[in-house]
Amino acid sequence: MKRILIADDKATSRELLRTVLERQGYMVTEAADGGEALEKAQAETPDLILLDLQMPVRTGYEVLGELRQDPRYASLPVIALTASAMPGDRERALAAGFTAYIAKPVALAQLRAEVQRLLHTEVSPPIDGTH
Amino acid sequence: MTAPDPNPHASTVHQQGSLESRFRKLVEAAPDAILEVNEQGRIMFLNEAAERMFGYSRGEMLGLDVENLVPAAMRGGHAKHRASYASRPNTRPMGTGLELQGQRKDGSLFPVEISLSPNWIEGSLHVIASVRDITERRVVEARIRALREQYTAELTAKNEQLEARSREAEQANRLKTEFLASMSHELRTPLHTIIGFSELLTEQLEGPLNEKQHRFVGHISQDARHLLELINQILDISKIESGHLELRREAFDFDHCVGEVLAGIRNHAATKNITLENQNSFHDALFADRLRMKEILYNLLSNAVKFTPEGGRVWLESGREGNSLRVSVCDTGIGIPQQEHPSIFEKFYQVGDSSAGVREGTGLGLPITKHLIELHGGTISVESWPGKGSRFTLTLPLAPSRDERS
Repeated sequence: MKRILIADDKATSRELLRTVLERQGYMVTEAADGGEALEKAQAETPDLILLDLQMPVRTGYEVLGELRQDPRYASLPVIALTASAMPGDRERALAAGFTAYIAKPVALAQLRAEVQRLLHTEVSPPIDGTH
Repeated sequence: MTAPDPNPHASTVHQQGSLESRFRKLVEAAPDAILEVNEQGRIMFLNEAAERMFGYSRGEMLGLDVENLVPAAMRGGHAKHRASYASRPNTRPMGTGLELQGQRKDGSLFPVEISLSPNWIEGSLHVIASVRDITERRVVEARIRALREQYTAELTAKNEQLEARSREAEQANRLKTEFLASMSHELRTPLHTIIGFSELLTEQLEGPLNEKQHRFVGHISQDARHLLELINQILDISKIESGHLELRREAFDFDHCVGEVLAGIRNHAATKNITLENQNSFHDALFADRLRMKEILYNLLSNAVKFTPEGGRVWLESGREGNSLRVSVCDTGIGIPQQEHPSIFEKFYQVGDSSAGVREGTGLGLPITKHLIELHGGTISVESWPGKGSRFTLTLPLAPSRDERS
């Protein structure tokens, strides 16, 4: 079963995403800030990470930066989530190494489609091979 | 035949006498002081103006050393000036570029302009000086200078004020944009969960909903989306009006774009039994911001459906017209009164009173649409009469054709 890590500082948002993804048959773990996100990512090696950009302790960009430096996570699918939607946001996120970008409020159909796309057409499996 | 003059000498003298009298009258009438000074510097001749100007009587001035008329401080150099004039006597102004002054009998000084001419009398060089009292002129000059300085100072101050205010306005504008951006972020965050959970409830995966519950959740969802639309549009129009919106132009299939937008409207039109027709005849690529074009068409078409009663018609006509793309969105709807035509493009304006159960919009759709069209270099106009339907027409300049480019 694929494992997804959700990192968002809003509890209600985490509950929403968890509900949707668990219904899709994924296993979900949560992190409430950037620091926790990094710890859980390194401890659990998820198959996909949903990362909110504005988080306390470490921002989504910082977390991604650290993850990408680790060869284990160089090509891990990471989706940027944000309520910002300023011009250039999407380009900046993709340029920084995010695999995809979803603007809040999220259309559930779009979320399901993106997760499906990224988890079932992955190029390389996680190196530690726990799946 | 005239008789010979018995005393020819006498008449010449008489003639000379009357000529002299005429010249004397001229000189006495002159407003400037006229003096004649001999080689020794003594005043030999003067006119009435000289008496008035310097405050001496004629008797006092005749034979007076001209140095008396020069300010005490300048007397030392005056003899040298007279000598240099004597070496090169001609008619010219005295002391060009210098501020000359005269001294009155009572010792008071006043500014003058002096012009000198040589006059040879029996082999001796006399100098004729014409002196003009320019006190008045100096006063006026000083006043003009003072006024000019005052105006310049006022202008500089006003300019600084304007610059400061313009900087303030820019700053306020920047703050407003930043505020709106962070506001929109703050407002979108709770909407994310409102819309998300409404959708989840609607999908009934967590359990079935009865009819009322289903309808209520629908209301929540609908109004949440309405709120989201309003937030997005307010941010959009604020960006446009502060010049921060950039178009991302690309070549795309216009046909396909029209098709997509019509597909998006289809359900809404179907609920009111309105027929949607695609009469597009422009099958080339369009070079424009694709997403914004969809926004423009979607806004016009959804307005058309919104304001057309059951069973009506909404259609899109478009085609090339010269070097432009012309698109008309037409409907058989309730129409817009003539006097409201200019207002419909204004922010937050909603047409007439909401009749026939027309859903309230944001009042920002048309202003944004108009801005987007104009950003592309195009224009939008409306033809409409109450009860006769509406036709919104936009024209967009096309990029030069491939033939023109090559």
